[in-house]
Amino acid sequence: MADALTQLGFASWLSVLIASIIKVTLILVGGSVGMMFLTWYERRSISYMQDRRGPNRVGPQGLLQPISEAIKTMTKEDATPRDADKIVHFLAPVVMLGATVLSFAVIPWGRMFPVDLNAAVLFVIATGGLHSIGMMMAGWGSNNKFALLGGMRGVAQLISYEIPQVMAIIPVVLMTGSMSLQKIVEAQNDFAGLGWYVFSPVGLLGFALFFTASLAEGERTPFDIPEADSEIIAGYMTEYSGMKFAVFYLSNYMSNLAVCFITATLYLGGGNGPGVDALGGIAGGLLSLIYFLLKSFALFFVMVLIRATVPRLRVDQLMSFAWKFLLPLVLVNILSASFWVALLRWDQQWPKLTEWFGAPSTADATNWGRLAIAIVLTLLINAGAVALIMRLTNRNVQKHLYTTDEELALGLS
Amino acid sequence: MLKTEELQINIGPQHPSTHGVFRMLVTVDGETLVDLKPVFGYLHRNHEQLGEVNTYLQNMPFTDRLDYFNSMVNNHAYARTVETLAGVEVPERAQYIRVIMDELSRILNHATAMGFMLGDMGAWQTALLWGMREREKILDMFEYVSGARMMCNYCRFGGVVRDIDDWFITELKKLMQGLPHYFDDFEGLLLNSEILLARARNIGVLPKELALAYSVTGPVLRGSGVAYDIRKAEPYAVYDRFKFKVPVGTVGDVYDRFLVRIAEMRESYKILEQALEQLPDATGGFINPKVKQQSLKAPAGEAYARVESPKGELGFYVVSDGTGSAYRYKVRAPSFINLSALADMCKGYTIADVVVILGSIDIVMGEVDR
Amino acid sequence: MTLSHLATEDVFVVERNDADFRGGQGMTKGLGIVFRKFRKALFGKPNSDRADTEGQFNVQYPEERLAIPEAYRNMPILLYDDATGHELCTSCFQCERICPPQVIHITQAKDPATGKPVPAAAKFVLEYDTCMSCGYCAEVCPFDAIKMDHDFELSTANHPELDVDYNRLLRPVSYYETIAPTMWSEVKEQAMKKLQNNIKRRPGDIGRDHGQKIKGGAPVAAAATPAAGAAPAAGAAKPRGPVAAIGKNMSEDKTAKLLAIRAANAAKRGGGAADAAPVAQAAPVVETVADAPAAASAAPTGPVAAIGQNMSEDKRAKLEAIRAAKRAQRGE
Repeated sequence: MADALTQLGFASWLSVLIASIIKVTLILVGGSVGMMFLTWYERRSISYMQDRRGPNRVGPQGLLQPISEAIKTMTKEDATPRDADKIVHFLAPVVMLGATVLSFAVIPWGRMFPVDLNAAVLFVIATGGLHSIGMMMAGWGSNNKFALLGGMRGVAQLISYEIPQVMAIIPVVLMTGSMSLQKIVEAQNDFAGLGWYVFSPVGLLGFALFFTASLAEGERTPFDIPEADSEIIAGYMTEYSGMKFAVFYLSNYMSNLAVCFITATLYLGGGNGPGVDALGGIAGGLLSLIYFLLKSFALFFVMVLIRATVPRLRVDQLMSFAWKFLLPLVLVNILSASFWVALLRWDQQWPKLTEWFGAPSTADATNWGRLAIAIVLTLLINAGAVALIMRLTNRNVQKHLYTTDEELALGLS
Repeated sequence: MLKTEELQINIGPQHPSTHGVFRMLVTVDGETLVDLKPVFGYLHRNHEQLGEVNTYLQNMPFTDRLDYFNSMVNNHAYARTVETLAGVEVPERAQYIRVIMDELSRILNHATAMGFMLGDMGAWQTALLWGMREREKILDMFEYVSGARMMCNYCRFGGVVRDIDDWFITELKKLMQGLPHYFDDFEGLLLNSEILLARARNIGVLPKELALAYSVTGPVLRGSGVAYDIRKAEPYAVYDRFKFKVPVGTVGDVYDRFLVRIAEMRESYKILEQALEQLPDATGGFINPKVKQQSLKAPAGEAYARVESPKGELGFYVVSDGTGSAYRYKVRAPSFINLSALADMCKGYTIADVVVILGSIDIVMGEVDR
Repeated sequence: MTLSHLATEDVFVVERNDADFRGGQGMTKGLGIVFRKFRKALFGKPNSDRADTEGQFNVQYPEERLAIPEAYRNMPILLYDDATGHELCTSCFQCERICPPQVIHITQAKDPATGKPVPAAAKFVLEYDTCMSCGYCAEVCPFDAIKMDHDFELSTANHPELDVDYNRLLRPVSYYETIAPTMWSEVKEQAMKKLQNNIKRRPGDIGRDHGQKIKGGAPVAAAATPAAGAAPAAGAAKPRGPVAAIGKNMSEDKTAKLLAIRAANAAKRGGGAADAAPVAQAAPVVETVADAPAAASAAPTGPVAAIGQNMSEDKRAKLEAIRAAKRAQRGE
């Protein structure tokens, strides 16, 4: 965009500045509008799951409900507890929202990239990690026990789920050979736009693990423990009201939106789909945007479905789920991803091997024989690992079912 | 070892999951519960003293306000006490009507109580709203016969205030067509859900001996493995004419209470089927016409009558000195006595478990603080 | 261990299936059920029958309303006879005595000539805010004078307004007949007979001097409203009962016509005077001047529209009434 402006006769620094301002505005507006739509979408769909109708009064089908609610929260009194750490209390929502908005910078809207970082994956993870700081600030600054508990829970949860989340991305990075989200999307464009990673055994497991870990990162049921309303009221948000509460809410839903976007990009081929390349140009770009949004909102629907169905885990169960279930599977998935890459591209990755064993028949990734071998091998590894770890978990649970009373009294179970 | 500090937290009296104005003074070490002190009385409204000032009939609507989910059952228990005291005969049809209302109450109570418990667990109200749908249907029928949805005030000494008619029976049959679907959906939704199992199995264990020592009743007692149901142990009304079974648990944890309640709903359904079949025609009347409702005077003496309320043994104790109002009036409220076992059930578990355990006891503060 | 008095065949142990392998199948089943519900609620027909367990079940309240059963009891009201304007209440104090929260307060009417008590109530105050809607007053009333209303939209920001006096408690018998036809038909004959007996013992206007009824006949508007309101009030003021009552049974234009006639009558009565103040005095209706504003102000807030009726129909009827009143005035 900056180049186009320069051609129009703007000074180069001015054109860069104008282009950046336009991009930032688009991201902010897109993010907030997306969040507003998301709240409506969640409430309506969860209502139908519960045989209700949901908000349907303000605007057509209640679509303007989020706007009326935004006005309501913004006109409410903004109360700060008397003994709160006022500066920290004020800054916490700002940090949260800032971290969320940053991650939107690298998200590809179909084929349109605001910024193409060569380490975009890392950037997304890093901005996600900033959330824990905001949470802790809110929990500490509120001078409220419930808020403190919520903040502690939130930080513990985010830190332990970042590990499986990051490691679930490694297979994708391995298979693509790049950390750029643009490259990752391009790499999933085989088979007429349907070569998504989720269709490979490695990608499928990676998708499941990444999505699960992302639920925890986004504080969605069954991992909404930092704000478990039935236990610790609203967690770190307990002492917030009015505008500040709205900012927390905004940042929560925007990060959920970002999670859906990232998952769609990493595993579901981003804006790829049949017909995008054939159309090309602006039409193709629009179609890719539509594909991308459809995939993201389908993912969000899954989130809503899960929220409507399952109860939430307990803190210790959450931790053991991350460390005892997700982490081993993620490690196994990295293993099978390396097999996958080795089988499909050993000539590219390891020229020495080609030297020793001779080149494979073709170096093409669409070589069906090699693909079949890779699929069978990784499928076996992954399925075996899932089955094994489930068995182990079951045995663990069964053992715990018959703990003695002393152990129970000590809270060891 | 890290040095940890204990933290005291007030859960309640205003908290989303204390089911009313109930306060738990909780001492925690991290997330683990060290001590719990239940504090109640915020909803005290002098019910028992009022019962000694009011005449017998005047007290009937006040019993609605005890366990406001099951006002039909409360009315039944109170009417039964005064009938025992004054020696009043109840026509058979009225007995059957009372049983039908009791069992409908049991279904609606368990449906919502389990929904609330799952809501405490974090299942976002889906089970609760499905339960609410069934409850609405039943409450509409209560409204039709008694005039009010929750504060029914339906029983009178020697019968009920209004007879059930054809409309009620057809609607009840329709309702019963739908109920099994609801039971199936409810069970399928969560009964085997891995997360529910993780949250409910071996949580809040109340051993059999402790349950008996606390004189806990109802699904909480049966969940602990004691087969005790007043409908069987001391059949009142016409319960001895129905074939039904009493479900009991084995471990006494939250999951057992959950399963027992679901099983009880299915048993109630069976009772309803049989009651509809056996319901006598209207010739016998639905109320004993000889009783002077407004100026009922009971002979001096005392009486205690109890029914199996959905929450446990609900008993009323009335002492009469021969005048038109009770000399002493006492309510044995199941929620209150079951709640006394809370601290022992909760110790050693985490805060997240405490709200679930509280939900699994199924309390109504209107009954706890009388 | 089971307690001894329960036979073993009466007891069964719930299945816990602790040893089953759990691999996410239970959660998947739950998700499936919720998705089925979603599909049915979105595309299926709404929940209409008591046997339905699928589809939306909520009622969009202000527009859609559930049918209210006859036995429904909300707040007590007092009845008066449409034809004579005589109130059914004889101040026998039965309801005051039975009322569990003791919110009914009655003063018996006295014959001004002899000072002897008359079977009618001079004052009747009911505290709606403390009433627990138990329905005992309606149950015990030997004259069927007090009944439970079906109007539940009584919320107000004005708390003292909830101490409701005689003027605001009164409803015509025809109103009660529309909300509870079978329950009224059971007691109608007996109640009317008792009323006739009581009327004989009521000297003068005692027993029909409350509310906005006019002596000697058909219930008419409160002419006590200020000038501008006089004519419209003719249509609007008395509608607490009758409008709704008529509207339900009769066809639309019949309602309008009837209202118009009534309004015209009212206008004639009040119209002789040039302004409204004399109207208030001229109206023999009102018991005391002090009571008048209260009664008048109460009327518009009354539950007219709330009875579950179609608003537009009501409005049309009112408009007709206003026009008729104006025509009548011009005619004079």
